[in-house]
Amino acid sequence: MSDLWYSLPSLLQDVLKLALLLLPGLLVGAIALRGYAPWPLTRAILTRFRWSAVMFVALIAISVGMGIGLLAQERGLRRGTAQAADKFDLVVAAPGSELSVLFAAVYLQPSDMALLSGEVYDEIARNEKVAVAAPLAFGDSYGTSPLVGTTEAFARHLSDDKIEGRMWAEHHEAIAGAFVPLGIGDSFEPAHGIGEAAEDHAHEGEGLTVVGRMAPTGTSWDNALLVPVESVWEVHGLANGHAPEREEQIGPPFDPDYFPGTPAIVVHAEELWANYALRSEFTRDSETMAFFPGTVLANLYRVMGDVRQAMSVMALVTQVLVAASVLLGLFILSRLFRRQVALLRALGAPSRFVFAVVWSFGAVLLLAGAGLGLLTGLGTAALLSQVVTARTGILVTAPLGWAEIHFLAGFVSVTLILSLLPAALVLRQPVVDGLRA
Amino acid sequence: MSMSLSVTGLEVRSPRGRVLLSLPSFEVSGGALVGIRGPSGAGKSTLLYALAGLLERVSGSVRWGDTELLALGAGRRTAFRAANVGMIFQDFLLFEELDAPGNAGVTALFRPRAERAALRARAEAQLARLGLGDAQRSVASFSGGERQRVAIARAMAAQAPVLLADEPTASLDRAAADRLIDDLVTLARETGTTLIAVSHDLHLIERMDRVLTISDGALTEERSVTA
Repeated sequence: MSDLWYSLPSLLQDVLKLALLLLPGLLVGAIALRGYAPWPLTRAILTRFRWSAVMFVALIAISVGMGIGLLAQERGLRRGTAQAADKFDLVVAAPGSELSVLFAAVYLQPSDMALLSGEVYDEIARNEKVAVAAPLAFGDSYGTSPLVGTTEAFARHLSDDKIEGRMWAEHHEAIAGAFVPLGIGDSFEPAHGIGEAAEDHAHEGEGLTVVGRMAPTGTSWDNALLVPVESVWEVHGLANGHAPEREEQIGPPFDPDYFPGTPAIVVHAEELWANYALRSEFTRDSETMAFFPGTVLANLYRVMGDVRQAMSVMALVTQVLVAASVLLGLFILSRLFRRQVALLRALGAPSRFVFAVVWSFGAVLLLAGAGLGLLTGLGTAALLSQVVTARTGILVTAPLGWAEIHFLAGFVSVTLILSLLPAALVLRQPVVDGLRA
Repeated sequence: MSMSLSVTGLEVRSPRGRVLLSLPSFEVSGGALVGIRGPSGAGKSTLLYALAGLLERVSGSVRWGDTELLALGAGRRTAFRAANVGMIFQDFLLFEELDAPGNAGVTALFRPRAERAALRARAEAQLARLGLGDAQRSVASFSGGERQRVAIARAMAAQAPVLLADEPTASLDRAAADRLIDDLVTLARETGTTLIAVSHDLHLIERMDRVLTISDGALTEERSVTA
């Protein structure tokens, strides 16, 4: 049976799952409403108690929206961070935490890291399988934009060669990421350090000029200012990677004797197999570690997956509590129109009709709340995505996914079934008490 | 379209067992107009609700035509009420957000699909007859008299042979009450409907064929107005 299920296309699986989730609620609705036309009364009761109904719908919408927003946002973040690492085939760094190197190199999060020597860089750069070997240099910033020293080849690789203006030709020229608030031709003076600890005037007289702008890459590098790696080394009073007689050179080859060290080297090979070979080659105890950022992320997601499962259980418990609140709320609301219910019963309305009126009232509120919750959730997720994208540069999008649709369908189905209870309880109230209420 | 009533040993008790109403026996012939009066709290409305089969803890016999109401289960009692009993209440009990035809034809919503159109048509005809033929607006904007006429149209549209009215004029001014009494009595007589009306309103009571007076939960007097 499970083999058959897994042999189905994933779209069909999702559609079938949706149908199965909705089926109980739809069946209940069909049975409750069969043969009757309660809608004029349902509409009348909804209109009469519109403010209570609006409050109830808003509460459901918020609870559903939170669930959907979290699901969509979590998936969006996962996809965004994975896509942001796409251009980083292989990273070589000093042995240590792969995660720290990943955060520093891919997501430009400051981190203290040991440096790789010029000899190691030279060995990597000279490897015939390597197309791009970019040393990285961090430590400075401008405003909220980190300054990253690297090579022209990597800047072109990262941006798919979509650079407006031109590539740097001098040590004091920079390329701006797509979201950096500087235009081509603007000059700026970098601060030493990043964030609140940055020293604004530490590099006085070391002005840089923006000569080009990368197209959006969907990575943290969209918030960065890219400069020749030589420039970063120079402003920190270090050798610039080239012998004195070639000090004006920009980019590789670097002279190992004048190479101040780099915390990470981003390696790109034209062939996929070559990346695996390079990883083996440069994974050396106590000297270098080489890893695929994608693999580290996959491991991270696996660990997070366990947390997600725990969160899913918590979300489920929360939704059960919400459902219980919905139940209580519906019962309280149904007390508001007990006179109308009593009137219907006095006029000879069958119990099932009265039941249908009360149930459809609850169903309309639940469906409206769920629909509004879907929009709220997606809106919140979109807003959060924009904030995350603006702050990190990682392109995070949170479109509607099957997980949210299934979540919503499950919630609707369960609550539609649960709302049978208040409808049944209303029928147990004495008619005359209702008429005299 | 008339239905007689025979009540024997009717006793209604409160949830704590106190006797709220005790009537040894009385009978109402089909198509008769009967007024029930008495001081507040005497059990008039309780009697009406007992006759409609709406109360629990009722013993004795309430026989409408050939049907012993108290012997019916809840579902069949409801079905009996839908087919045979129209009700009018002191404070109208309308669905405020529906218009006059919507209220007058509200029972169509739970009738079999095949009967719905005819019932709605009868509701509109009754409204027209009661001077509310063009009142296609929410009944929330209606006067008390108009609302009660909508309630009468609702009761008559169902073509029930029995009409139970609980203080139908109590919420109306004199002029509106008099017009309502005219409408109610005329319609009941024309259709042969058995009308039992609980009321303090002498104008209404005087138009009834018979008057029952209830005091302290018991039938203490019976007289015929016309006699």
